[in-house]
Amino acid sequence: MPTVTIEGKTVTVPHESTILQAARKAHVWIPTLCYHPTVPSLGVCRICMVEILGNDGAPGRLVTACNYPVRRDITVSVSSERAAQVRKGVMQLLLARAPDSGELQELAARMGVRGTPYPTVTESQRNCILCGLCVSVCEEVIGASAIGFAGRGVERAVAAPFRQASETCIACGACAAICPVGTIQVRIHTDTGEAEISPFKSRSKLLVCEECGIRMVSVPVAQAMNDRLKIDWEEFRHLARLCPECRRKHAAKALGFGAGEDSVIPLEKIQVNEVNN
Amino acid sequence: MATATAAVRKIIHSPKELEAYRDKLVKKTKKNSRIVRVCIGTGCAAKGSRRLYELFCEAAAASAQAGSGNGGNVVIESKHVGCHGLCELGPIVVIDPGEILYHSVEEPDVAEIFRETVLGGRVVERLLYEDPKTKEKVKTPAEIPFYNVQKRIVLKHNGHIDPTSIDDYIAVGGYSSLGRALGSMEPESIIDQVEKAGLRGRGGGGFPTARKWRSCRRAESPDGIRYLICNGDEGDPGAFMDRSVMEGNPHGVLEGMIIGAYAVGASRGYIYVRNEYPLAVEHLKLAIDQARKFGFLGEDILGSGFSFDIRINRGGGAFVCGESTALMASLEGRTGEPRAKYIHTVESGLNGRPTVLNNVETWANVPSIIGMGSGEFAAIGTEGSKGTKVFSLVGKITNTGLVEVPMGITLRRIIEDIGGGVQNGKAFKAVQTGGPSGGCIPAEQLDAPVDFDELTRLGSMMGSGGMIVMDEDTCMVNVAKYFLGFLKSESCGKCTPCREGIAQMLAILDRISKGEGELEDLDSLHVLAELLSEGSLCALGKTAANPILSTLRYFRGEYEEHILNKHCPARECKGLFIYQIDPESCTGCGICRKNCPVEAISGERKAPHVIDQAICTKCNTCFEKCPFGAVMKV
Repeated sequence: MPTVTIEGKTVTVPHESTILQAARKAHVWIPTLCYHPTVPSLGVCRICMVEILGNDGAPGRLVTACNYPVRRDITVSVSSERAAQVRKGVMQLLLARAPDSGELQELAARMGVRGTPYPTVTESQRNCILCGLCVSVCEEVIGASAIGFAGRGVERAVAAPFRQASETCIACGACAAICPVGTIQVRIHTDTGEAEISPFKSRSKLLVCEECGIRMVSVPVAQAMNDRLKIDWEEFRHLARLCPECRRKHAAKALGFGAGEDSVIPLEKIQVNEVNN
Repeated sequence: MATATAAVRKIIHSPKELEAYRDKLVKKTKKNSRIVRVCIGTGCAAKGSRRLYELFCEAAAASAQAGSGNGGNVVIESKHVGCHGLCELGPIVVIDPGEILYHSVEEPDVAEIFRETVLGGRVVERLLYEDPKTKEKVKTPAEIPFYNVQKRIVLKHNGHIDPTSIDDYIAVGGYSSLGRALGSMEPESIIDQVEKAGLRGRGGGGFPTARKWRSCRRAESPDGIRYLICNGDEGDPGAFMDRSVMEGNPHGVLEGMIIGAYAVGASRGYIYVRNEYPLAVEHLKLAIDQARKFGFLGEDILGSGFSFDIRINRGGGAFVCGESTALMASLEGRTGEPRAKYIHTVESGLNGRPTVLNNVETWANVPSIIGMGSGEFAAIGTEGSKGTKVFSLVGKITNTGLVEVPMGITLRRIIEDIGGGVQNGKAFKAVQTGGPSGGCIPAEQLDAPVDFDELTRLGSMMGSGGMIVMDEDTCMVNVAKYFLGFLKSESCGKCTPCREGIAQMLAILDRISKGEGELEDLDSLHVLAELLSEGSLCALGKTAANPILSTLRYFRGEYEEHILNKHCPARECKGLFIYQIDPESCTGCGICRKNCPVEAISGERKAPHVIDQAICTKCNTCFEKCPFGAVMKV
């Protein structure tokens, strides 16, 4: 197994591990934006660039830590002038593109980048930095491929086909959960009982608990789960239409206990805005 | 693919049969002592050469019917041939025997050429090339500096053979290198030959071809499949080398690919060619069909046991698809966007299999290397760059056209001797090489040799071979802006530095060319240029700043003039110069006054006119309309 010496710390990693994996093992922080362990790393945001130092003073090589495969012993510098300059430059360009993202500003502050010298010259869809995580998770993890990239160059944007509301979106919210800059949001329309994945305009009905009336996951998500489980059992289907709370009460009642006390599991990380229109 | 080839009975089964077939062809062609060659390369075709070809065919048919009138047994053949090179003076018609070259031929000339030259053996003086220096008429290409400074290896058969006829190619020695390679050489020894020849990739990168082939040959493939790709996605503005080779000698490209496939052990090949090149696609398709029929493609080629076939894929016109990984993504049916190349495509390329990708011109060099031997090939060129390079010479040059020169020749010889210097007697300012990612080389560096490393040292690059000549009226800030604008619209937008950085640099250039720039902007350009070259995902982004860096390096004064004095020295940036009427030359005819859309010009009849600068919108109308050249840009 090759060893990676990073910021003076040496770790051994399996063949073809990434530099980022080695860095995490060595407890060295490298900023990331378009990286997420559940999807393949494409190395597009370029914020994780580090320098592989050359042997005997030979010039080093800048690579993206998230997808550079370690195949031999290497020495990596995160803090080298060259690497730090590139990361700073990339962050400045992103701040110019997405000036209103709190998440991006937080990361910039952690990197020690104070603001950007550049004006905003490219249009972004609500601070989208085009990292592509939403597209990847929709395709690779959810299997819906509801969104993709439209346009080229500065015209590039994430959208459903023809920039219309998607027909295949199941409103699972995975894209919103994975978005590192808060571009994608799940909006709950209380009047129609729908979840909207904004800004893609896709809407899906929300499943309502048959007993207490609380809104749960979207109907297509529940449907997709049922299809995947392939359980043809009437009582199960009925239970699936209940919220966890009511299900627990059901179970407790069936076992002869009183009603359970805990509440619904919070939907972590997903930014949920209540919209009434 | 395999079934299609199996269904056809092959014509040639071994290298020996190939040579016998060639002998038969050569004997037959001797009788065709009079040949009219009409160039139908895209340049000449645009000037109507296809019609000329038809007329020559009709004339030949008519004279054959007349029979004894032309001396009995003389056979006259009209051929349409690929690009002859001297596109500026097209359509080009060459008559054999004598290799008499006529230029700028028009339809009414056909009858005269046929009567005088083809039948009568006399020369039509007025259609001959006139040496601009000596004013003497010359008959053959060998006497024209445009041709005699060149060294043609890749273009050797361009302009001589009919690209739609495999017999023509075989008759001039075509596929003999394939016969030799398959008949008597081991794959490794072919790679050795290519290595000794010193062949480097002609697509722009200049990577040693043999090293690529060897890595691919040695790479492990999960199912033994290896791919071979010919990159014909020529997208640089002003470049048409690959198009001319594909149009003019498609079999040369195929032969190189088949030899390469045998060397690396590839079983499938693709030619990725732009859809904007319909003639190239047509000729390649035809050539592939013919090669299959003859047994140069398909199963058990020339009895060697080696099998290989080629498909054509037409590109959708994205410049970035010329990048190898983007091209492969496009071939796989995905969006043509590059990916990180930490794992090389020779290990895992198309469909995750080892893949060799070379440019059209690189492939077209291979048969010559095997044919002439690596020693002879390596004798041409410089220490680090061997062989020849094809350039398309465009811009403000007298002889626009396609040229092939030995590596190491100076830029000056290409521009002055072959190109005939700058048009209209203007002064030379710079030459842009290497396409949009290349750089501008100024007059002081014209004695630099054409060599991969030398051009890189000068801040440009060899690129695929576009050479754009600029004269004194060209504003270098505007040039940088043009190329950056091109790259902005061609960047795929996948990675941050390229997408955002190019847009930022273009915004700065835009300000400078409007006279709103500041000196600090030049520093910002340098910082952004550095960021792009260090941080971009693919070569498009890494080299995108070259047009800015090279113009800043050689023409910084011009940038400063825009910024400090709000003046464009080349008088190209609108608003950064004014129009004035020279009282000496002005005849007071009033044309400018009548045409001025904002009534900024005043003056009595027959008296010098004056432009009111406060009203003038710099629309350029007066400059264009003045018949006496009295309106000046200052």
